[in-house]
Amino acid sequence: MAFIRIGENLNVMSKVLGPAMKERNAKPIQEMAVRETEAGVDYIEVNIGPAKKAGAEMMEWLVKTIQEVTDTPLSLDTTNMEATEAGLKVAKNPPLINSVSLQTSRIDKGLQMAKQYDADFIALLWSDGGMPRDVNERAMHAVDFIQKVTDIGLSTDKMWIDPILSPISVEINQVKACVEFMGMLKDIAPGIKSTGGLSNVSNGVPDELRTYLNIPYVIMLIKNGLTSAIVDAFDKNLTEAVHGRNDSLVRLISKVADGEKVDTSSLSDLEIKYVKSAKVLMGEILFSNAWLEV
Amino acid sequence: MGFEIPKMNYTGSIKEITLGKGDKAVTVGGESSYPFYLFEGNMPRKPRIAMEVYDYEPTDWPEAAVEPFKDVLGNPAAWAKKNVEVYGAEMIALQLRSIDPNGMNRSTEEAVKVTKIVVDAVDVPVIVWGVANPERDTEVLKAIAEQCAGENLIIGPVEEKDYKQIGAATIAYKHIAIASSPIDVNLAKQLNILLGNLGVPENQMIVNPTTGALGYGLEYSYSVIERIRMAALTQEDDKLQYPIICNLGFETWKTKEAKLPQADAPTLGDAKKRGILIECVTAMSLLLAGADILILRHPDSVKLINSMIAKMTAAE
Repeated sequence: MAFIRIGENLNVMSKVLGPAMKERNAKPIQEMAVRETEAGVDYIEVNIGPAKKAGAEMMEWLVKTIQEVTDTPLSLDTTNMEATEAGLKVAKNPPLINSVSLQTSRIDKGLQMAKQYDADFIALLWSDGGMPRDVNERAMHAVDFIQKVTDIGLSTDKMWIDPILSPISVEINQVKACVEFMGMLKDIAPGIKSTGGLSNVSNGVPDELRTYLNIPYVIMLIKNGLTSAIVDAFDKNLTEAVHGRNDSLVRLISKVADGEKVDTSSLSDLEIKYVKSAKVLMGEILFSNAWLEV
Repeated sequence: MGFEIPKMNYTGSIKEITLGKGDKAVTVGGESSYPFYLFEGNMPRKPRIAMEVYDYEPTDWPEAAVEPFKDVLGNPAAWAKKNVEVYGAEMIALQLRSIDPNGMNRSTEEAVKVTKIVVDAVDVPVIVWGVANPERDTEVLKAIAEQCAGENLIIGPVEEKDYKQIGAATIAYKHIAIASSPIDVNLAKQLNILLGNLGVPENQMIVNPTTGALGYGLEYSYSVIERIRMAALTQEDDKLQYPIICNLGFETWKTKEAKLPQADAPTLGDAKKRGILIECVTAMSLLLAGADILILRHPDSVKLINSMIAKMTAAE
């Protein structure tokens, strides 16, 4: 099954697109949607953040505006469920709901919405206790979530489990836990879809270096079963890697992930960077922003 | 088959760093195991304590902290001498609080002068601590490094924002740089790398991971120090194999709990003991995490912690 890329770039946090969303300025938004389409993403994220005020109007306008220029399906990213629903109502192609969380106050409404609009949804493993603390809590929440989805009469084919990827600069054990969790998920629910916000792992890292963490991390996650990720649409090396067009890199990172010794003397500078990154992602070497220099 | 206690396999060790000069120079570091795990490795150098001296006369200290220094407050040279001669201090930590531009804003010249007076007054190593204001620290600490060339002072805090200038001064005039980062293991490593790239020699650097007092973030400092030691000793992370310094007297004695007079807080117990114990519990916790140098205020704390260190490092 081909890996699914969800483009992250249409985001309210962008200095250009954020104001454009608020001012209903279609041009920069449509340009971004076209560029992402040209970059071949499977979904375009429409990330409006919490959007507490007038989120529904904004999402409706955005979906309509983007659909004028592209047929690429959309992923509706907001914690405002009214806004999600407004987007679902006007979307031409079946969109993805990002996301339904496991919180008691949100899950029923979220799943009802998925059912009503027959939409796929990202099942965020965020519970009443907040962010899962380790791999075991992730596994527990995944089982709970699958049960709830089944109980309501939805197919688990509709759910994309998101273990919540988090920055390496915050807690390496969480970075490792997500990789380990993907391995467990294969046993918990064979064939289930999964996704995650890949760029979170390099949050806080200088922009030009983020790709060196994102790529080995996604390779490690895919190796353990990840089927999709929310990614930088324009990272060409990443696109190559996730679509299996860079076998030698995938093999190299797999070796590091398996704890095999890697002889770096025959590697290119770029490959050495990826190996260093894989080692910090494994927790073998403590991360710092100068991780590539040591 | 008898039961065998599992042992940690250490692959790295902490660098030994010599502070100050002459007979009273102090060497710290050298550990090849977790703190006080003498059953697993060596701790050839005991953790050491520096006693504080302030560059001005403090007026907002609790009585318990004032009492031992009544006759020397406001006279840094006499204060330093008393710490060494009466209280047996092995090192002095000169806290340059008066240079704070948001406080007394004393001049660089005054800071240099008071530092030289203190350095001349004692023969033990002197730690010189600025106000963590990069602009002010850069000017003052650079001047001190130059004027006290060759004294092998321990100078800091050296932070990400001022490491180039202060770091360069410690290289040029041969002092020890205190690499200081805000309670974050990744940032601690980052700054050590930057200082290394700048050319600070390995034997001229110690690490200050920033200390929170008991009840004010101590557990965060504890975790960060612990993580630093784990990387240094079990992952051969040579960017983190440096002795660790904790500036905790300043942090503990400014807490509300250390300052409250007995009458205002009868349920918190004897005010003097309370302040000392807050300092000592913080100190002991940091030692257990991996600290090599503690900066303390009260002589009773120094005595108690020194006796704890002696007992915990005594051969069986």
